[in-house]
Amino acid sequence: MNEKIGILYLDDEEQNLLSFQALFRRDYQVFTTTSAHEAITILNNNPIHIIFSDQKMPDVSGVEFFETILHDFPDAVRILITGYADIEAVIDAINKGQVYRYVTKPWEANDLRICVDNALEKFRKDQEIIAKNRELEKANSELEKFVYSASHDLRAPLVSIKGIVNVARMEGLDPKAMAYLDMIERSTNKLSDFVSNIINYYQNNQSDELLEEIDFNEMADEIFSKYEHYEGAEKINFRKDITQTSPFKSDGHRIRMILNNLISNAIKFSDLKKHECLIDLQVTQNKEKALIKIGDNGVGISPDILPGIFEMFHNSTDKNIGSGIGLYIARQAVRKLNGNISASSEQGKGTRFTFEIPNKS
Amino acid sequence: MSSLSAITFHLVDDNDIDIAVNSKLLQLAQISSNIIPYSSAGAFLKKIEEDPDMFLKNPNVVLLDIMMPNVNGFECLDKLSELSEELRRHIMVFMLSSSIDRNDIRRAEAYPMVQKVLEKPLDIYLLKKSLEGIFEG
Repeated sequence: MNEKIGILYLDDEEQNLLSFQALFRRDYQVFTTTSAHEAITILNNNPIHIIFSDQKMPDVSGVEFFETILHDFPDAVRILITGYADIEAVIDAINKGQVYRYVTKPWEANDLRICVDNALEKFRKDQEIIAKNRELEKANSELEKFVYSASHDLRAPLVSIKGIVNVARMEGLDPKAMAYLDMIERSTNKLSDFVSNIINYYQNNQSDELLEEIDFNEMADEIFSKYEHYEGAEKINFRKDITQTSPFKSDGHRIRMILNNLISNAIKFSDLKKHECLIDLQVTQNKEKALIKIGDNGVGISPDILPGIFEMFHNSTDKNIGSGIGLYIARQAVRKLNGNISASSEQGKGTRFTFEIPNKS
Repeated sequence: MSSLSAITFHLVDDNDIDIAVNSKLLQLAQISSNIIPYSSAGAFLKKIEEDPDMFLKNPNVVLLDIMMPNVNGFECLDKLSELSEELRRHIMVFMLSSSIDRNDIRRAEAYPMVQKVLEKPLDIYLLKKSLEGIFEG
């Protein structure tokens, strides 16, 4: 049953090799040698799962031998056979991960058997982990490809619709037709935002930090101009108050992701009954960090919902808009930037989100 | 018409609606009316091969969609990079994509011919500003 299990034993004493052979040759494929050089040849030509080596040999020590083969044969379980005198070298080797176990000399047949059983168990478990890791890597890369192509396939038609509306607006169609096209555009924007959030969610989990120089003024203008055409944004007065005193480096993509989610959230929950709807973006920044506040005078969040708003699919009860994933993504992105985010709100008065992110310049 | 009107625009996109929209936008924004549509990168590359003189006469701006069947935007860029230096000097590429992927941007910006990666729907005024910066600046 263990035909395929290969064990190699390196020892300068022939007598030890013979007793080892006698002990295991019926159950395993056993290779023995007195030469480290030959041991490597055996490793190169045979599937070896467990390697025993004597520590005290004339040309090379057991630990040294393991060191030389570690890179090329990392999977084999390495066991050192040694006398008590070398115990420090052995402990060191075990701690460095070069050796799995050691057996004291002179060895007893029973100890050695147990040792082989344990080593085999370890070998199988290691192999299982390696196989599982490969599967995971494969699944991950397939998922990545799928998200990439699905997001494109979902977005492409939406983007075409938006393009057509842009052309119609420039052509100046009659007001009635334009009013209908505006509605089409708003619905399209909603769907397109949702698709963006799915992509954002995914990208936020996957990708590494990509640092760039951030100009908060420029970023604010870019984001505000994007939202001016949004449903419910007609009445909103966007204001910014930005103090940028030194260069600021961070992941611009993630900061945009956070601001986009907080601002679109503020628009959705603006209070249209009010005389003037406000969205305030405040940035104060120094060499260490940036403090960003987004305030609105919208409908506010009721105290019983407030603690859970950053959870996935929390959904506000009174105004059921969106998927409830936006704030979750915002918090995830803040965390990826090693920052923190909080919210305070008063019903009927408005909401304020505050987040702080470190300067990586 | 602005000084951009000498440019010939090559719209390479497998989506006929996007081609129609973008060529309409180029005209409505009074950028240029020299517009040639191609439904695939293959058709565009074939045109250069058949009529290189046309490309040498005027500056050419290519609006190149990234996601296309058969030859995609990046493969098309690889082929364009193999053209003679003289031809390459007359061709400028803007990549278009409906979903801006960070890896795509990094990849596209590695090509010297690529001016910018633009998100669809095309912001015609942003394109106009970039072109003015290049041709009039």
